Amino acid sequence: MDENRSKRKEWVKNAAIVFLIILLLLTFFSNTIQNYSLPEVATQYVESGSITAKIRGMGVVESGDPYNVKIKEVREVASVEVKVGDKVEAGQVLCTLTEADSQQLDQAKTDLEQKQQALETAQFNFEKQLLTGNYEVSIMQNAGDTGTVSGYLSQIYSAKNEMEAAQTKVDEWNTVIANIDMQLAYNPYSADVSKETKAVNEAQAELNVIENDLTGARNWLTSLDAQIEQEKAAISVSSGDASRLDNLLSQRLTANQNVIGLESRQRSAEQNLKNAQAALDAKKGTADLDNTLNQQKAFAQLSLGNAQAYFELKKTAYDDLIKNIGDTYALSELTDAIANAQKDVEEAQAKVDKLTSDAMGGEITAPISGLITSINVKSGVETPSDGIVFTMQPEGKGYTMSFSVTNQQATRVSVGDPAELVNAWRNDDIQVTLASIKPDPNNPGQNKLLTFDVTGESVIAGQSLNVTVGSKSANYDYLVPNSAIREDSNGKFILVITSKSSPIGTRYFASRVDVEVLASDDTKSAVSGAVESYMYVITTSTKPVEAGKQVRLANN
Amino acid sequence: MKKWLRSLSGRQIKLGISTVISVIIFLALTGVIALLAGRQTEQQVARRWDSEGGVAQVSCFFSPNAKITQDSIESFEHSLDNALKEASIEQDSPNPGARLWADAYSADGTITLSTDRGSIEADALGIGGDFFLFHQPLLLNGSYFSGNDLMQDYVILDRDASWQLFGSTDVVGMTVNIAGRPHMVIGVVERPSGKLYEAAGLDGTRVFVSYETLSAYGKSGGINHFEIVMPNPVKQYAENYVREQLGTPEKEVEVLENSSRYRIGKRLLLLFDFGTRSMNGKAIIYPYWENVARGYEDILALLTLFQMLFLIYPSGVVLVWIVIRWKNKTWTARTVLAALQDKWQRAGDRRREQRKSGKGKEEKSWLDDDSEEKQKRRQQKQEERRRRKLDREFQADRKKSGKR
Repeated sequence: MDENRSKRKEWVKNAAIVFLIILLLLTFFSNTIQNYSLPEVATQYVESGSITAKIRGMGVVESGDPYNVKIKEVREVASVEVKVGDKVEAGQVLCTLTEADSQQLDQAKTDLEQKQQALETAQFNFEKQLLTGNYEVSIMQNAGDTGTVSGYLSQIYSAKNEMEAAQTKVDEWNTVIANIDMQLAYNPYSADVSKETKAVNEAQAELNVIENDLTGARNWLTSLDAQIEQEKAAISVSSGDASRLDNLLSQRLTANQNVIGLESRQRSAEQNLKNAQAALDAKKGTADLDNTLNQQKAFAQLSLGNAQAYFELKKTAYDDLIKNIGDTYALSELTDAIANAQKDVEEAQAKVDKLTSDAMGGEITAPISGLITSINVKSGVETPSDGIVFTMQPEGKGYTMSFSVTNQQATRVSVGDPAELVNAWRNDDIQVTLASIKPDPNNPGQNKLLTFDVTGESVIAGQSLNVTVGSKSANYDYLVPNSAIREDSNGKFILVITSKSSPIGTRYFASRVDVEVLASDDTKSAVSGAVESYMYVITTSTKPVEAGKQVRLANN
Repeated sequence: MKKWLRSLSGRQIKLGISTVISVIIFLALTGVIALLAGRQTEQQVARRWDSEGGVAQVSCFFSPNAKITQDSIESFEHSLDNALKEASIEQDSPNPGARLWADAYSADGTITLSTDRGSIEADALGIGGDFFLFHQPLLLNGSYFSGNDLMQDYVILDRDASWQLFGSTDVVGMTVNIAGRPHMVIGVVERPSGKLYEAAGLDGTRVFVSYETLSAYGKSGGINHFEIVMPNPVKQYAENYVREQLGTPEKEVEVLENSSRYRIGKRLLLLFDFGTRSMNGKAIIYPYWENVARGYEDILALLTLFQMLFLIYPSGVVLVWIVIRWKNKTWTARTVLAALQDKWQRAGDRRREQRKSGKGKEEKSWLDDDSEEKQKRRQQKQEERRRRKLDREFQADRKKSGKR
């Protein structure tokens, strides 16, 4: 019995020890165990600072006043000589065309040939009728004519030959003029020497300025030398000031360096002047060639005028002859046919002439100096039907850029706001300014189109620019990270950390503070409410956190 | 008590123990269900929005034919404001920015992101409204954004995307290009992992962009999810309102109330829908959060089934015991009353005797009497145990001899 009792006591003792050990362990590690069950939170300080709400956007730079290089004919392109972004001078070849005439010219020539055949047929019919007709002498006598049919025919042939000879002469002079035009066109330089003259004048002006400066500097140096000599002399008789001499020597050294620098600049300016003069002379030489060709062209045009006048004379004589004979023998129907056919030929010829005069020749050249912004042709392909083969940005004209924003975003900007370039270090010379805010044509109700003026030497059309534009920053007393702002049916709030000390350590709790968000940017929000500086505000947590609940602070 | 226990047969004891175990398992299952349901934070937005209740979270999933647009959602929001005003539901919070409701929409798709380091094609969610009020993936860095923010060129990357594009997760404020357009990384999140999440659709790199970005520069079939947390003054008011006012054909939309989906009633209904639940006559693709929620619905339904079984068993045992006791009862109301009166009388007699006996009896050392009594009882118990042991041995010998 005693044995049983002692066993029972032993059991109770063991159980009590185990219980106490567990109790002790739980007491020691209660905080750690509890911490593992708590949500871990990251926090940041409430601080003061500025909020800048900016609009970001990307647009493609376009020419503010684009110049379209157009041709009036559809031609096949042999090769394209420029690329988008190339800077070209006026007259520079942009692309070459194949030798073949344009489709319109080919068609006009075919048409002309047909009309000419029709005219010949009409003339043949008339002559045939004249030869085969039974014409009584009385008719001719009544008409007061003493000639014969064969005589008329010989008159017709003679007038016709003279007219054709005159036409040949006109064609010859046309060919001469075309050749001169071609030579003028092949001359790679423009006869305009104003640019070179301007360069020479500028170089001369710069040289003059430098020479003036140099003269002044040399005078000053001479003056300093004289002063130094005087001072040295004064020192030798013990009435001079050594420090003043040092000062004068120092000034002389500076003046001497200035003279050396100016002499170097003078040499450089002289070289520039020589180069500019050489360029001007070269251009003037080509201008002389232009003058000779132009004189030849003027003579040829004069001769062409004479030949055309002679041709018109012969043609009138021929037409009168035919009309008279036709009237005499009642062949007005045939003569009218000839007249109509001639009229058709003249019209067809005029069309051919016009197309020939408008013809581009073998090349398309740049009509102005500027930058190629788009190319609408490819080698081996015909030029587009609308005629626009290149688009150029004229030299000295500005660029624009635009992108669409929401109405809400548009309220944050105003015309004249400068925009900042994202990655501005790449294009530090580019300035972008908001020029207009208009409804976006693609979505006029909800979007606005922001148009910017873009200036700078490195701007080229087609370039994409990322910009930020917006209101100036404003300072606020209480800024919190955007991730700290929470919301429920009672409005926006933040959770701040409050602490309570206990014998086993400090415990942290989340407390709700209702706030009103005054402004926000990409990362921060300015808030008002029962907030104090340097409060710890919860930004993220591993589990949902509710106000009043205990939390665990993240290590970092 | 001991007498009662001693009177029980082996079978009765077994039944009793199994009943207690069943009750314990039932309680454990109840706890596990509550824990699992509580972990589905994306289904608990109503509780977070208003801890006092009276609000409901409603989700809609659309087929591509529903043709839901931002305009139609704006129109719905406008009508909701008017409806709440008509129902005299007004905001009474002193906070000037407080709202009665919040909503979000989103579209599934894919999008290509690139940096100087590389390019990836990722699963993308184009979001609008307060999407991250409803879905809060764990932020490793940065913050969430809203469809109501001034700029809509933000991107939230998951850890994989961040690593592939930058080689780091500390990339908030950096720029990624989407179709040549720069977008700002505003946050990096941890993508939930696990078999269920991967099967639900989180099996690849995922990024969050604005709906405008996805529709302009990514591949998407349009808005296919809409969620709202709003006042629910009477049962199913919010769900019915959303269903009616969205104006989408029934075949093209599925509307459900998230707030009550894990309650016991819904779980039991789910069990009754066994076999038909998997059938789907609508061209709707669920987003990953709904797939996860449905997965947990299935798990909880199974646990509910076991929970019910472990509740039915002890209930049945207790019921049978009560019936047996009722059938074999040897008492009537009169005998019970008489017994109670007798007990009352004896108790009164004892008290009187104690008062009469006074101090003299106390001096007799009751401790000795008590120890003698205890020794007697102990001897009796030992006798009983010995007798029972002999009985068992006797019974076992009989069984053995019977088999032979």
